[in-house]
Formats: sequence, structure tokens, C-alpha cells
Amino acid sequence: MPDYQNLWTQVQVRTAPDWGPPIKEDTWTRQFPPKISYWLGKVGDWQVGPIYLGWTGVASLIFGTLAFNIIGFNYLAQVNWNVIEFVRLLPWLSLDPPAPGYGLSIPPMAEGGWWLLAGFFLTVSVLLWWVRLFRRARAHGMGNHLPWAFASAIWLFLVLGFIRPLLMGAWGEAVPFGIFSHLDWTAAFSIRYGNLFYNPFHMLSIAFLYGSALLFAMHGATILATAKYGAEREIEQITDRGTGAERSALFWRWTMGFNATMESIHRWAWWFAVLTTLTGGIGILLTGTVVDNWYLWGQKHGLVPQYPAAWEAADPATVPERSGQLQMAPPDTFPGLPAGGAR
Amino acid sequence: MSMHRFRPGALVALVAAVSLAGCELPPQESTQNGFRGVGMQQVYSPERLAGTAADHQVPDPLAPSSTTDSSRAGDQYQNLQVLGHLSNGEFVRTMAAMTEWVAPKTGPEAGCVYCHNPANMASDEKYTYKVAKQMLKMTHAVNSEWTGHVAQTGVTCYTCHRGNQVPEGTWFYTDENQSLRHYLDREDVRVQTDAALRSESNNLASVNQTEYTYGLMISMSSALGVNCTYCHNSRAFADWEQSPAQRLTALRGTRMVRDLNINHMLVLQDVWPEAKHAKGHLTGEGTLKPWHVDANISRGPLGDGAKLQCSTCHQGVYKPLYGQPMAKDYPGMYPAPQAAEVPMATEGDSMPTQVSLNP
Repeated sequence: MPDYQNLWTQVQVRTAPDWGPPIKEDTWTRQFPPKISYWLGKVGDWQVGPIYLGWTGVASLIFGTLAFNIIGFNYLAQVNWNVIEFVRLLPWLSLDPPAPGYGLSIPPMAEGGWWLLAGFFLTVSVLLWWVRLFRRARAHGMGNHLPWAFASAIWLFLVLGFIRPLLMGAWGEAVPFGIFSHLDWTAAFSIRYGNLFYNPFHMLSIAFLYGSALLFAMHGATILATAKYGAEREIEQITDRGTGAERSALFWRWTMGFNATMESIHRWAWWFAVLTTLTGGIGILLTGTVVDNWYLWGQKHGLVPQYPAAWEAADPATVPERSGQLQMAPPDTFPGLPAGGAR
Repeated sequence: MSMHRFRPGALVALVAAVSLAGCELPPQESTQNGFRGVGMQQVYSPERLAGTAADHQVPDPLAPSSTTDSSRAGDQYQNLQVLGHLSNGEFVRTMAAMTEWVAPKTGPEAGCVYCHNPANMASDEKYTYKVAKQMLKMTHAVNSEWTGHVAQTGVTCYTCHRGNQVPEGTWFYTDENQSLRHYLDREDVRVQTDAALRSESNNLASVNQTEYTYGLMISMSSALGVNCTYCHNSRAFADWEQSPAQRLTALRGTRMVRDLNINHMLVLQDVWPEAKHAKGHLTGEGTLKPWHVDANISRGPLGDGAKLQCSTCHQGVYKPLYGQPMAKDYPGMYPAPQAAEVPMATEGDSMPTQVSLNP
């Protein structure tokens, strides 16, 4: 039977677990002695730990856990603390932002206050993790590419949950915390603002998103396909003839006339990923603040193709309103309910 | 060694099986109802439609009454406020049909006594008698005033009841912002702006409000077993110029449902018996949970009476009972001829999905 060698790491080269080179550990130290994991070794390195958490890491985890628990306990409260219902309905449960009527004020806890608090804690957690990423990158003498790429994702996160709601004047514009509810929000957002597909920044974001997937597939496949020549050890191979690195480069040159280099392919990947959320964030920020109907905006700027009519246009003016009068005076917000509402 | 060999094929098959478990088996058929290549089409599974076709069959009409009968039921029977214009024979036939369509088949309430006091058939002491009278008025209103929606097909008690004492697919109040309130008294369904820029509009509709519109639209979509493009060109939902004629029919339908809810359903609110366990029977939207639709609940947890929506009649198909005419066999479903009004503008509705029920 044919055996594919590259689905997971075939050979785990084991030595004694390594604490890594010494660092200046005056404020924090590396913790959790390294352990060996056979299964993690299948998909990554077999050594787990140590980890340098730092105060930003600890604080980020605390705030993240707080947000996670606020969301989870709100879900539990919504199903009357029934764990079975919690599991069954989990995809549908949602912690929603305050109703639009609250504007930017602080609402009662049960009417969006928990959402605001969870969002605040989550934002603090994410920002602290960014600081941690930045400081670790500096401490390792690395460039800042990782924190800046993460910052691009945070930009979209902040636009959706903070900056745009601020500009719109209501927390209610923000995204709910829920599996299906945030998808519903996406659909409703697009419909409210006249079809997000006509938003050019949404177009760019999608192009970069799909482009990222394409580039990732090309790069991953290329390296795996030349791994039997040791292509993953690219630095050693980069100047020699006949190596996996040269084969992979020549493959693309002779396939499409152009090839990235061992370094530039990562620049391509970095920019595509970063631009996905960067352009996406711009697109969201303009929606409702500057442009209120992307379809009509697109029509105005020649983006919208016209198709021959397949039917006679419907005219709502031909439909009469025959609602009639409510037979009973509405005593409260429910028409026709006896005074006092619920029985 | 081979003992531990992992078989990715098995994993792929398992993942595929789980993720496709909710899908309908092919083949699907699609019907184009717009310009080619723009996605204006309905997709349905002939197998699924065939499986549910029996639920949407019109029962055989009762044997017709004598056509030479010139009697008038209103002269013979007492307290006939709605059906007095029928002949004696047709009146009795209508009563028999309504018993088939609505009354329980077994138990102490089976047959005529579901609505009538057997000692005095003209007495309206039973609440079901009062409800039935109001419902007949409603049926008359639909068949005479709302032909713009129901066309010449019309409706009968069976269109909604299907043998149930309370039709499935009603709704009740849950909270004041529930999307189904559009079927009663809310006119805030339109959320899109008719100008490109924010500076050109003062539309304050929120994403939150759009969610209610979305919920309402999904209630229509599932009631008719169609997708968005049955009524809308989804690239510009609000644009009437690009909308199929079905959207007009649907607009007439929502206006009709409002009329019926306000003028025929709400007036019965205090006639119906108290709610017993209605609260646990409702979904968040205010409809009955699927396993409670048979419970014949006519009163919600807040004390309000059952209300109509699209699915009360449509029950999952684009025309109730696939548009098979039924009311034509029952003159009792129409008001006295002189009371009939001039029908409103008729629809230019073309059937996108021809479903043959008698192959």
C-alpha cells in the first residue's frame, strides 16, 4: 500500500528536554519544566514547555478568562442554569450588546451591561497579549512582524466592537458574542447597509483572504513536495544546485514563468494576511458612517451591472393597506392584551 | 506496525458523513425565475416534495347538495348569522364538512358536540361555537376582500385546520420586539436607505432592527418552502424594480394577515380558554415548538390569543395545498353574493415550481 510520508512528522529526534539558552530573568522566569509529548511530536515539536508568561501574559489570561466566564455564565443563565440545555443550545446562545436605544451609555447588566464588561475584558486581554508578543519579539532579538500582523487583526476586532460603535453612537451596533448570533449579525449588517459585496474594501479583504489561502496552499505544498530533498532546511540549500530549494523555485519558474524566493514567499504571505483584516477594517469603518447603502453607492460609481428585466417590475403602490383598527385599545406595548399584561 | 497504521480515508469519510448529515440527498431540481446567471432560482428536492405531498392533498369534496333546493337555511334554523344565505341542504353539508375539517374524531368532544349543545343546536354557549362563527366571517372576508392574495382559489377551514382543532403554525406574544409582530401592528420592516451616503439620509435603523426584519423574512421563507430569491433579487433586497411579482403577492399577504389578526383573531382573545402550559411550548420567536404543534394551544403564556402568520395557511408550500381549488366546492366559504365586494387587483403570479400531485 502506498504510504504518504508528509501527513505528520515521521521521525521524532529525541534528546533530553531543553530549557533553552539562559536569559536575564530579573522580573520573571521561565516556568513549567519541559515535558515530552509523543502526539504533539506528530504535528510539531515533541517538547512542551517551558513557557515565559510574563506579567502581560498572566494579566491577559486573567482578563481573557473573565470575559470567557462572563459569556459562559450568561449563556447558562439564559437556559435557566440547565447544563444539558446549555450544551444542546450552545450554538444558538448569545450575549448581545445593549439595545440601540442605550446609545453609548452604560446599560443595566442584564440588558447589555454584561456584554459591555465582557467586551472590555476581552479587549484588555487581547491588547495585553499584543504587548506580550511585542516584548517577546524584542527579547528574542527578532523583527516586529508578528506583533504588527496581530495588530492588523486587532484593528478589525476594535473597528467591529469599539471604534465603529463609537462613531455610530451606540454599542448596539457591535457584534454579539455567540456562534450563530455573530453570523446572523454579519448577514443583517450586510442587508442593512445595502449589500456589503459592493463595498470595495470588502472586495479587497476577500481577495486577500482567498489569496492568503491560495498562497498558503502553494507554499505548503511546495515545501512538502521537496521535503524529501530536505527543502525545509532552506537556509543550507539556498545557494546550492539541485537541492530541494532550487527544485521548488524552478518548479514555479517553469510553471508560471515567475517564482518567489525563499525569503519573499514569506513576505507575500505576511502582506496578504495583514491586508485581509486591514482592508476589512476600513470597509467596516466606512459602513454606516460614510456610506449607508453600498448597492446604491456601487450603482453611482458604475460597479453594478444591469440585466435585462425578466418580469414586469412590481409596484407596491398598487397594494392597499387594509389593516383596520385595533378592536381593543392597546393598554401597553402589546396591542389587545388585557391591562396588566402577563397573567 | 500495521496495527497502528492510521487510516486517513476512514477519518475523511466520517467527517464527510457527519457534516453532510443535515443535507438533502441529490438530485435537486432548480427553476430559474430571473435573468440567466444571476442566481434568481428556486432549488428543491423532488424526493422531499414527493414525501410530503400527501400532507397537502385536498380531501374529496362531500357529495353535493341538491341544486334545485330553493330553501334558505336562515328561514329554517335559528341564530344563523353567517350562513343564512345557504340552502338547507348546503347548510347541513357545510356543517358536516366543518366537522370533518376541525372537530376531534374521537373522545367526548367528537362530532357536532365540539361546538354545539346537542339539546339546543342554536345556542352559542360553547366557546367553540363563537370561535367557529368568527372564523367563518374571517373566511368570507378572505375569499371576498383578499382575492388579490388568494385569487379565485380561495380558502376553506381546511386550508389552515387540516383536521386540527387549532391550526398548527400560529404564534403568540413573547416580547414586545418579536419579529412576528409585523403580522399584527408593526410597520418597521424596511431598514435599507434609499441613498448611497450617510450624509444624504437620516435612516436610524440599526443592525439590531435588521435582525428582526431578517427573522420575519425567514418566517415567510420557511412558511412557503422557498428561498429569498422567490420574492427578491438578493443583490438589492429593497428594490421593487428588480423584484419578482411574488413579492407583491407576499405584500398583499402580510396586509391580509394583519387585517385578519386584528379584526378576527384578537376579538376572540377572551373567548378562548385560559392557557395551561403554553409557556414551555413556545420558541423564542413565539411559534409553537415542533413537538407541541399538535397540542391545540389557542392562548399564549401572556394570555393573548392565537395569531396567524404565513405558515398557518401555507404550511411549507408556496401555495397552500399546492393551489388546488377547494373553496369552489363549498358555497358556505363565501359570503352572501350581494355582500361580496369587487375583488382587488389580481396577481400576476406565475408558478415557478410545477408540482404534479397526480402523476
